[in-house]
Amino acid sequence: MRAQSFEYQLRHTIPPAPDPEARLKARRAALAEFERVHVRSIEAARPSLGEWLRSLQFNRVALSGVATACVLVIGASLVWLMPASERTIPLQVRFIEREPPPAIEPVLQPVEVPPSVGPPEVQAPDLQPEPLFAFATTLPPPLPADIPAAEEVVVVETARIRQQQVEMHSPTPVLAVESDESSGAVRSDLEAVTITGARVAHRGLLSRKASAGQASGIQRSAEGRDKFQHFETNPVKRVADAPVSTFSVDVDTASYSFVRRQLNDGVLPQVDAVRVEEMINYFDYAWPVPESRQQPFKPTVTVSDSPWSKGKKLIHIGIKGYALPARQQPDVNLVLLLDVSGSMDSPDKLPLAQQSVALLLDSLKPTDTVAIVVYAGAAGEVLSPTPVRNKEKILQALNALQPGGSTAGAEGIRLAYELAERSFRKGGVNRILLATDGDFNVGITDQNELKGYVERQRAKGIFLSVLGFGQGNYRDEMAQTLAQNGNGVAAYIDTLKEAKKVLVQQATGSMFTIAKDVKLQVEFNPTTVAEYRLVGYETRALNREDFNNDKVDAGDVGAGHTVTAIYEITPVGSEAKLIDESRYAGRENAAAPRGTANEYGFLKIRYKLPNGFRSQLLEQPILREAGVPASLEQDVEFSTAVAGFAQILRGGKYTGGLDFEDVIEQARDALGADPNGYRAEFVQLVHEAQKARGM
Amino acid sequence: MDDQPLSGLIRRAQGGDGTAFAELVDLHYDTIYRFAWKWCGHRANAEDIAQQSCIKLAGSLVQFRMQATFTSWLYQLVISCARDWQRAQQRHEHDALPENEPPADAARPEDSIYLAQLLEQLDELGEGMKETALLVHAEGLSHAEAGRILGVSESTISWRVHVMRRHMNTREALISGGV
Repeated sequence: MRAQSFEYQLRHTIPPAPDPEARLKARRAALAEFERVHVRSIEAARPSLGEWLRSLQFNRVALSGVATACVLVIGASLVWLMPASERTIPLQVRFIEREPPPAIEPVLQPVEVPPSVGPPEVQAPDLQPEPLFAFATTLPPPLPADIPAAEEVVVVETARIRQQQVEMHSPTPVLAVESDESSGAVRSDLEAVTITGARVAHRGLLSRKASAGQASGIQRSAEGRDKFQHFETNPVKRVADAPVSTFSVDVDTASYSFVRRQLNDGVLPQVDAVRVEEMINYFDYAWPVPESRQQPFKPTVTVSDSPWSKGKKLIHIGIKGYALPARQQPDVNLVLLLDVSGSMDSPDKLPLAQQSVALLLDSLKPTDTVAIVVYAGAAGEVLSPTPVRNKEKILQALNALQPGGSTAGAEGIRLAYELAERSFRKGGVNRILLATDGDFNVGITDQNELKGYVERQRAKGIFLSVLGFGQGNYRDEMAQTLAQNGNGVAAYIDTLKEAKKVLVQQATGSMFTIAKDVKLQVEFNPTTVAEYRLVGYETRALNREDFNNDKVDAGDVGAGHTVTAIYEITPVGSEAKLIDESRYAGRENAAAPRGTANEYGFLKIRYKLPNGFRSQLLEQPILREAGVPASLEQDVEFSTAVAGFAQILRGGKYTGGLDFEDVIEQARDALGADPNGYRAEFVQLVHEAQKARGM
Repeated sequence: MDDQPLSGLIRRAQGGDGTAFAELVDLHYDTIYRFAWKWCGHRANAEDIAQQSCIKLAGSLVQFRMQATFTSWLYQLVISCARDWQRAQQRHEHDALPENEPPADAARPEDSIYLAQLLEQLDELGEGMKETALLVHAEGLSHAEAGRILGVSESTISWRVHVMRRHMNTREALISGGV
């Protein structure tokens, strides 16, 4: 028995003195690495644009045969193309105490492309296994490797073997951002660009274009294999040109968790990882719920001044789905589809998934059933549908899982659907929960086939949600697309706390869809509104005609979910207008129908009940004098702070001088009751962003 | 070392000055190594982790922003390397021999054994517990600092500290009760 406390022991256990030899070895290795990083960035900066464009013609051919992973390199001026055999030279340990090399910012540099060069797109052969879910519906078709296109310049470099070794030891490249292995794309409209990055080039998937707003040399995550769909920030639109704005709701929150993780690791997230609406919707707002169940939710509309541009207004549209009391929860038939491939072997992946599921069991009824299917090298049924009252059995099966093998996602999905069908609960919730790090690399031949499959199953009443785990390999877009096609949510789980939020507190929400295909449409009144901008929802935009077309799929709202959309509008006569009047366009102002002068616009919401095929319509005018009810002030202010933060992270194109400081102040004012501490955590996160941007 | 010379050193190293970087490594190797040793309780492993950390430092130093304190940032880096290292170890374990025997290489051998047991217990208590214990108790950082390093709130750290204390109390009571 020990007299001292463990705290005392921890403090007073004295490590053996460091071995001088080991110390020397570490020093040498570190200096070699240092040398490599810096020498490379200097050498890389040398060739002129013209030179590399010429060399590209040659190297592309040479590269196409090299069977190694391809990675993108920084940008036009930082090119270093050499055959792989020569590439090893700077890797040798050859550190000499020498004069400091010229200071070069090795990581991210604004790159300018001279206007005289029409940059061809050069695609490298992507020798990584094909990413699975590059769905043609959302993405441009893949370009053949040898067809130059006009849009961007992508420079490709072959990964060095040693780098790969280092990477292998660092599956979480939190701090190992490699200056020279970032992907870069340069916009043809010649803006200065900050490079964000990914190691794996995939045609179309990674055409990451940075916008002018982020050109200030801000350092961003050049992190590896996490994939995000690229999208442009919604522009300001003139009501006279496009009076109607249509989009689908989005209750996903994956973006927020991902951004949080990056910021907590001390780096700013990639621009495309920041989806404003998902950041906003991460938080719960007290939008009023309808009195009767006939209607799953009712819209709340508020009008307030824009904190980041004088003379503009913000219109909040909030909806909150009614929450089901526990005893009314329908029967649940849940099939867990767990990725147990080798890449899940990390505490924040499979073990976290296991713990998360254990949490979920507590919120289910004893008669609900859970089945477990795993997929890795081969797919297999681990647990046939088992009532939750045999919780021990479920936990046992769950905890016995070990990661190993490569990933074959498709087989697992089919098996999971088979099980779900076997134990189908009529009138209940039949859902597959897919937990993965998104590494669906092996065994899929036809991407669209799988997507179609998920859609067909949805028609049968079996829905799919995707829980993303881990970092470095996460395929956000895949998760989004699958969940969208399967009528589910995609959530990114980085901590057990997040698992609790998503799975337990929102268990009723994520699992019990109360309205599906929810679409919003706002028609602005040209006599009162000059311009408008939808904040976020870029990836959810719909065509005007899609609104009334029930065949067009849209997002779902679950029990207790809140969805918030924010428009920024410029009232007619405001100085803040960005777009000039058209010289020739007629003035439609006179034509406005009577009695609408007090309206900014008109809101329409379409939704279907969970088992319905025909959509219902909700309508209400957006009144100029709507204001913000006192009970909602803090929610409006907090959501505005989050929107401001997300926009700054995306480059702050429309937020003027708004800074992290302002966001912090605003959010602090609006913490409200904050029972789970999520809002306080947000404030902390903004501080992290401030730090990450630094200097 | 004072803040001024240190930040000057960091800036020079960030600018590509190898001598400055070497000096930086020399200055911090001990901190890195000692922390790694307490993290894993094993000399050779700690040396491995320390070396990985130094290598990683070379690549990611440019990311360091002067607003954070360098040592906090360094702890973050070492923890990340240590976890990577552990993952790599676990991967190898699948097809290699079972866990290596607990080594006795602390200044006092019984300390090592106790530390090894303690680390194991902390690991079992949950993710982040061991790191919390090391930062707070071994390195003497405040809860707020530890929170910043581990990317969680101060209250989470306080809570973890409390949980660990409670757990150890129960354990010690069991042991001294002769059960």
